[in-house]
Amino acid sequence: MSVPFALLGLLEREPSHGYDLKREYDSLFGRDKPVPFGQVYATLSRLARDGNVVPGESEPGSGPERKQFTITPAGRENFDRWLSEPIEPEPHLQTVLFIKVVLSLMLGRSAEHYLDIQRASHLQRMRELTDRKRRDGLVDALLADHGLFHLEADLRWIDVTAARLSQLALEVNS
Amino acid sequence: MIRLALRLTLGGGRESIIRFVATGLAVAIGVAMLLATLASVNAIGTQDARGAWLTSASTLPGGHHGGGRGGPAGLAGSGPGTLGSSAVAAAPLWWVVNTELYAGQLILRVDVAATGSTSPVPPGMSRLPGPGEYVVSPALANLMQSVPANELAQRFTGHEIGVIGATAIPSPGDLIIVEGHDPRELAHVSGAVEITSYATSSRNGGPESLGSTGEEFVLALLALVLLFPVLVFIATATRLSAARREQRFAAIRLVGATNHQLSVIAAIEAATAAVMGVVIGLLLYVPLRPLMTHVSLTGQSFANGDVTLRWGDLISVVVGVPVASLIAARLALRRTIVSPLGVTRRAATPSPSVVRTLPLVAGLAELAYFVSVGHPRSASGQLSAYFTSFLLIMVGIVVAGPWLTKVGATLMARRSNRAAVLVAGRRLADNPRGSFRTISGLILALFVTSVSFGVITTLLSDHSVSSAGSAASNTVIDQFNNFASGSIPSIPTSLVPDIRAISGVSGVSVVYQAPSGVRIDGTVPYLNGIGGDVIDGVVECSQFRFTPALGHCHAGATYAAVEQYIGFLPVTKSVALTSSTTWPTAHLTQGTSHLPVQLVAVATNGRTSTIARVETVLESNFPLTSSTTQFGDLDSPKALLLGELRSTSEVVIVASLLIAGCSLAVAMAVSVVERKRPFSLLRLSGVPVTVLRWIVALETAAPLVVISVLSAVLGLVASDLFLRSQFGENLRTPGVAYFAIIGGGLVAALAIIGSSLALLEPLTRAENSRME
Amino acid sequence: MSSTVIIRATDVRYQFGETPALRGADLSIVDGEILAVMGPSGSGKSTLLHCLAGILVPKSGEILYDGVRLDQLNDDDRSELRRRAFGFVFQFGQLVPELTAQENVALPLLLGGMRRHDALERASGWFERLDLSGMEQRRSGELSGGQAQRVALARGLVTQPRVLFADEPTGSLDSLTGELVMELLVGAARRDGTTVVLVTHEPRVAAYADREVVVRDGVVTSLLAGATTP
Repeated sequence: MSVPFALLGLLEREPSHGYDLKREYDSLFGRDKPVPFGQVYATLSRLARDGNVVPGESEPGSGPERKQFTITPAGRENFDRWLSEPIEPEPHLQTVLFIKVVLSLMLGRSAEHYLDIQRASHLQRMRELTDRKRRDGLVDALLADHGLFHLEADLRWIDVTAARLSQLALEVNS
Repeated sequence: MIRLALRLTLGGGRESIIRFVATGLAVAIGVAMLLATLASVNAIGTQDARGAWLTSASTLPGGHHGGGRGGPAGLAGSGPGTLGSSAVAAAPLWWVVNTELYAGQLILRVDVAATGSTSPVPPGMSRLPGPGEYVVSPALANLMQSVPANELAQRFTGHEIGVIGATAIPSPGDLIIVEGHDPRELAHVSGAVEITSYATSSRNGGPESLGSTGEEFVLALLALVLLFPVLVFIATATRLSAARREQRFAAIRLVGATNHQLSVIAAIEAATAAVMGVVIGLLLYVPLRPLMTHVSLTGQSFANGDVTLRWGDLISVVVGVPVASLIAARLALRRTIVSPLGVTRRAATPSPSVVRTLPLVAGLAELAYFVSVGHPRSASGQLSAYFTSFLLIMVGIVVAGPWLTKVGATLMARRSNRAAVLVAGRRLADNPRGSFRTISGLILALFVTSVSFGVITTLLSDHSVSSAGSAASNTVIDQFNNFASGSIPSIPTSLVPDIRAISGVSGVSVVYQAPSGVRIDGTVPYLNGIGGDVIDGVVECSQFRFTPALGHCHAGATYAAVEQYIGFLPVTKSVALTSSTTWPTAHLTQGTSHLPVQLVAVATNGRTSTIARVETVLESNFPLTSSTTQFGDLDSPKALLLGELRSTSEVVIVASLLIAGCSLAVAMAVSVVERKRPFSLLRLSGVPVTVLRWIVALETAAPLVVISVLSAVLGLVASDLFLRSQFGENLRTPGVAYFAIIGGGLVAALAIIGSSLALLEPLTRAENSRME
Repeated sequence: MSSTVIIRATDVRYQFGETPALRGADLSIVDGEILAVMGPSGSGKSTLLHCLAGILVPKSGEILYDGVRLDQLNDDDRSELRRRAFGFVFQFGQLVPELTAQENVALPLLLGGMRRHDALERASGWFERLDLSGMEQRRSGELSGGQAQRVALARGLVTQPRVLFADEPTGSLDSLTGELVMELLVGAARRDGTTVVLVTHEPRVAAYADREVVVRDGVVTSLLAGATTP
């Protein structure tokens, strides 16, 4: 899942409290499904344990939600790598890609670039599927077609998103 | 390459066949009309040549004049001084030509007298008629036999020795008589000349034509007025196949054809249709030719062999039409530089600019110029002046049409609220040339019609005798004009009673030459405008009151003095003047019986037989010295020419309306095909058929009606300018017939358009439109 | 597939009136490869193809085909090149309506001066290859979209061109028919070693290519996967 990286991305922008992080995540990514508090704290703990974030001084007499977290250089690196990696085509691709796009916009990175990378990866996969279709029998061709159509749907979404980037940027950063 | 082009032209399925056939037919009709026109023009020339000998007196130089000074409106020919006798071997022939009327038909009377046995024999006869003999044309021979002798045959002294051969008779229906006389008789006749040979071409027409411009003028005008619309029609027809060419050619260009290859294809497409058109046109011409002999272009029919084509005509049409269409196709292609990307990128055809109105304005200006400074002096000057101005105007109409269409269309689109008006206006403005091309034939036809009607109606109305003058036309006068004194010594005493005895005659009066020094109460008004040394005439009032057309005496007067040349009043100086004139009383001391006689006037009931008999009596009594006319009708030859012109113009009007109808029909057929695709798409996107019909109607009918009206008005304006400069006349409003024809023409055109509206529904039905 | 560049476009610019379509496009195409040119509508990809094929002359920039400066040739030479060395499959409107299918296919040969009989014979050979048997005498109005596109393909390949230019060849076809056309196109091209420049906005069509480039706002960008950098 992409919750860890989403939180990392939010932290890259600025250090935040757990409570603020959850609120931000929900408003950006959790429309249908708000992330439970527990998951947020658990994720943050894991991130801290792996060295991607460091908890800051907590205010006296407060629980974990009042702790402020900061991203570490290692965390930054991992996040960057995650950001620039194309995603394997999977059912929840849109969600992850969406998160990537929004985050890059927020962070002032070139979202278009990531979209291009994704597009190229998709096309490569489609090429492979097309080759397979031409070589193998009809049944395999049908399966390949299925994959192709889904890939195409993704690409369509990517195109539409790419066309809407500037508008999206405005909304995200307001 | 050529085969490919042929394949494209001919084998392209139903649509291209339709296009090819339509174009070919259109060209065929145009070619047939062209050939018919050329043949008719040839026929006129042939006729002229045959009748040239009749004009020998006026066309040949030299010639010794006979005595007499001729009248002021003289019928005499002209010619410079005496011919030296050493240059000729033939004995001269005395020769004088006069015209007479019988029942409104012109009879040409040639009086000849041989001075020796070698006097030239006129064509068409084996020998010259001697004194007391005459030779007649077949038509006159028939006429003389079919009417009572006292109406016609008795006018001529002598007996018939033969019939003039067909080679010497211009038109089969011509009435010609060649009478032989003694040379001593003829020598003293005013207007007689000596000729030693016969003219073979009538450059300056004789008494039959409108002065010296005459036939040439008519011919040139005919050529212009008939040929030009036909040529425009042919050009339109060849351009029609340009439809859908761009799509076809774009595909070929895409695949890598060079522009040269493309123009070869286009040229062949144009040429094949043209060639087919020429072949069919030739075939159409064959049955058309006999028809032309009956169509009296000049008011007189042609002889059967007259309507022929010269080899030059044939070759120039058979070669010229395809060549011209080749060139036209090439030019049209150059304008739409075909891009492989097809119809989308037409090399921006510059929309017609206002500069296009220049030729039209120039033509009108030229006419106006001649109105202000007067027409050119010489006949050929007049000819070139009017020819060029009318040519400019007709060309100007064709050239300015697209601009006018565009302007009107833009207005239409800009100020419209309704969708149909907007779409129609934009479509028109987008293709003004094509839209105008559809109606160009009709526009020209209406212009020609208006000019013809305007000119003819005005000129003829001068000749129509006003109601006050019917009494005048029923009065026959015989003006004696042969001797130096303009009178003859006496008339037979039986003459007046003889004439009065003819049934239908209501009075006879005689105008005597007034003795010198006669006392007159007051002065004689010279209605003819001629003053000076005229010798007055006197009448006996007891007779004179029976011929009121010539005027009246004062109450109680016994004698009155009248103008001598009362018989020569030109028709425009209204005859009504004389009939209302009261002549001053003259005092004669010795009566009139011994006075020379100037004129005999006979008032009749106007019936043909009466008039003919009166004329016969007068003619037979005074064979050489009289010229009888109906009073006020002195210009009858001119009237006859105008009658010719009128029938010419009728033919021209019918022909040009025919051409207009054909060109409109052809253009509509092709444009219906062109509209199929865009209109199908419109209909598919929800535009109701009614609106589509409105669009088509507006697209075609709006410019048609507007420009037609403009063109008709233009024609009337042009004819007014022409009349004013050549004749000093103003245009009279043309009669009901004109408006009927114009209206009828427009209605027919709208009907053709309407019929294509009916096709619109089935054509644009969804099942029929296949998206390619 | 060799690695010689057969077409190289350098800094190509073109505009329609005031509207710029290409703002300095660079592209190299390798002999024998199948290249997909993708991009949104209005990006200039079709214009780029037209420039590469010698249909349009760029306002500035170079187009080298096999060592020849295409942008400097005159109209007749470019036409000749198109006829001889290039083939075209466009989305629609490219068959001559008056000719039969067989004649349409034979058209480039006829224009090149081949005898009618020979041209038609060679053309007819393609009909079976493209599953068009029996359609030889039909006119374009009597063919379905897929059949018409296959006829266009046959015409594009009949001269054994070095480069086949295809602009949305399946644009007006349904998925299956489109696939069929693409199969045939790619199959024939691979067999004969024809270079293919394929303009499309459809990923499934582009998937038939060896690589793709994207045209955006009049310039060419390439995607990283499998790219030969231009």
